[in-house]
Amino acid sequence: MRSPKLDTSFDSNPSKDFLRRDYDKAIISQWRAELGKPLKYLGLPAWKMLDVIEWQQFIDRFTTIEREENQQHLMFLKANVENVEHRLHSLYGEFDDILLKGRDSYGHTPEWPYELVNLDYFGGFIYADLSRPKAVRKLIQNQAVYERSFLLIITQQLRDRDSNKEKAGFLKDLGKSLKSGILDTALHPAVDSVISWYEAADMPDCARQTLYMNYFLRDSGEAEHFDVACRPAVIYPGTGGSWMIHFVTDFRFQSGIGHRVASNQSLLELLNLGLLEARGQGFVRTRFVQPKLSMRRRS
Amino acid sequence: MASEVDPEAKQDEAEDSEELFYAAAVQILSEDLYPRKLEIIREYIQNASDALDDWLKISDLIPADRTEPQIKVSIQGKSVLIFDNGTGMTEDDIPKLKRIAYSEKKVGEEAGYKGIGRLAGIAVAEKLKITSTSYGDPRLYHFEFRAADMRRDISDKKKQGVNEPASPVIKRHTSTWWTDIDPADHYTLVEIRNIKDSCDELLDPDKLIEYIGDIGPVDFSPDYSHGAVISENLQRCVPDYSPKTVYLSRPDGKKVRVFKPYNDEMKTAAPQFIDIPDPNNPGKLLAYCWYTSKAEEILGKMRPTGKIFQVEGEEIEDRRRFAGLVYKLFGFSVGDRSLPERTLWSTARARALWFTGEIHIVDKNVQPTTPRSDFIENAARAKLYMEAQKRIPVFLNNLAQQISDNRKAFQDAKNIRQKLERYKAQLENGGIERSDLKVIRDELDKSFRKLGTRKNTTDRDITTYQKEARRIGETLQTELNNPKKLKPGYSVSDLVKDLDMPTKARKVFQIVMETLQQHFSKDKEEYHAIAAKIHKALKDKYC
Repeated sequence: MRSPKLDTSFDSNPSKDFLRRDYDKAIISQWRAELGKPLKYLGLPAWKMLDVIEWQQFIDRFTTIEREENQQHLMFLKANVENVEHRLHSLYGEFDDILLKGRDSYGHTPEWPYELVNLDYFGGFIYADLSRPKAVRKLIQNQAVYERSFLLIITQQLRDRDSNKEKAGFLKDLGKSLKSGILDTALHPAVDSVISWYEAADMPDCARQTLYMNYFLRDSGEAEHFDVACRPAVIYPGTGGSWMIHFVTDFRFQSGIGHRVASNQSLLELLNLGLLEARGQGFVRTRFVQPKLSMRRRS
Repeated sequence: MASEVDPEAKQDEAEDSEELFYAAAVQILSEDLYPRKLEIIREYIQNASDALDDWLKISDLIPADRTEPQIKVSIQGKSVLIFDNGTGMTEDDIPKLKRIAYSEKKVGEEAGYKGIGRLAGIAVAEKLKITSTSYGDPRLYHFEFRAADMRRDISDKKKQGVNEPASPVIKRHTSTWWTDIDPADHYTLVEIRNIKDSCDELLDPDKLIEYIGDIGPVDFSPDYSHGAVISENLQRCVPDYSPKTVYLSRPDGKKVRVFKPYNDEMKTAAPQFIDIPDPNNPGKLLAYCWYTSKAEEILGKMRPTGKIFQVEGEEIEDRRRFAGLVYKLFGFSVGDRSLPERTLWSTARARALWFTGEIHIVDKNVQPTTPRSDFIENAARAKLYMEAQKRIPVFLNNLAQQISDNRKAFQDAKNIRQKLERYKAQLENGGIERSDLKVIRDELDKSFRKLGTRKNTTDRDITTYQKEARRIGETLQTELNNPKKLKPGYSVSDLVKDLDMPTKARKVFQIVMETLQQHFSKDKEEYHAIAAKIHKALKDKYC
């Protein structure tokens, strides 16, 4: 049966399309192959569900969370038009509330666990109440309860007003953490220098956010027995002149371990991941190049 | 100059401007019309079915569109969704959704025509949301009825003693808008949103599947081997018979195609058909009926066995839920399975329950009442009932009698035949003693008499089977006369003869020995041992 298509001229742009169609899809395809069965999806797609439709060959059931009633109704329409209504499990309410309370506005629960989580946020990640980081941490805890590995994709708006207090504290802690792991104190000034680079007020937030988010995900995952592998964040111009940042992270559950997991990807590797910039149908050389930290003494 | 005032004209004017329909009536209407809440779903399936029919009339003109016409029902959270890819609504149609009992559908041409059903959901939900677009229109139209707000509003006003006219209240609690869409699209989605807890049967997928299958314009299941024949006949005799493809998505992700409830597990006989011709229009039908009854495999073929049509189920109502015929109009049920029984049968009403099936109304002047529990009382209904009464109950009562007679005839013949086969086997193995002969002969006579009383069966195979039983009996009778085939041993008469007794003593002896024989009927060895001892003792004393 040919499905009539709803208008899809809005809610995306070429860079986002590229990430969805090429970059993310390739990673999801690998996860699908590795798992040997379609992935169960949890996400925040807009009513057009462009990600779900694009990745549907790799997806089984999909749980969507929508906070706007008319958008949710349109999502039902889109699911019917695309003939995937039976695979849709739609929750109504704020993602953070649903994750933290465990139920949506009508008392329905997510169908834990998931293998693919795509959180495409409107706005930034850090607000004064830190509800988003708390919700993501809760998501990771829920996945851990079921000992289920998963791929987490987070997209957010880059906002320089994102709680800098939170990030300043984080950078200080990161510096301490790095230095405590480096016994050769002669290397500590290099750590301080890199941290200062991130702390500099004139530094665009994308660099800080990349480090913050990857470190946050790694820290939250390891605490719940996941081996976390982060990828370089991808920045791209969003609609309306804003910049978006996109994270794709593997969480692999380490069963039979009581203690905190140490990920195979070292903290140093994470710090040096840097970021990519997508423009149109591919990646471009980014002007946001962060200093790399080396464990070798300069000769 | 003073003008004269006509007091009557003034009164007319006042009456013209007077509001005659109040908001509470909308609530009362919507709540009272559907005592069984699942009926609300029927209203939307009916509109969807009409939209598919309308689309089919024009779809040939749009060869590029190869969408399969279908209705899809799904449950999301506390919402029920009904989607169809039929003709969709136009810009003009959307504001008319606010109108109560307004319909441009023509009576007798489409299943729904009263303009009430599309708002059925407002009695049970927080909101009713309808989104629709028609082919060639670049706009997707949205309609929202904030039903819970309206109910609260009406209730608050009532507490204040205010009776507000219906129109402003409906306008206040409804909105319409549009967004852009691909002009090639055509569909309608109804969302009955946030359904009340007291109406949770609307959110039960199993109940919905059963209900839609039972009342909806759906096809026969491929699991029902008689379905194709019935469909073929209905297509030939009922001009508007066009089953729709209806899917239901269960919350667990399974998508189920909904079919009529009949399947081979029910074990039904081959279906039969009854025409209800229009006496005023020769060659035209008022209705067309198909029916079947329970069946069992008898003599290598599924044959009707009669009795009340029952299926698996815990409660008696569950087991009898398909017992009786049901009226169908445009593929939708009108009334339940007691309606034909009440309207067509005047005697032997229990016989109506021996059958299951459908009476498809062909004469579209027969119209359903708004709750679809009956037909509107009019001349067409009177004619339908009168003509159907002459045929359906007469056919089915006679058939029920025949089925009953055939079943009893077969059962008797089968029992007799089994008994005869047993005797025959015993005889062939030399297991019948002379002492058993009297009992066996009595049995044979009784069997022949019974076979004689059941000779008028209408089933040729059963008649043949009866004849075979008689033939076996006759052969057995002949063989019993052959003493070589009997087991040697003393019969009572042998002993009597041997002892040369006087008549009175012989009679007493016979009674004693027969009583003993009866007593030891299950242990013949023991009987023979005792008989031999008695025989010897008597012989020693008197001979």
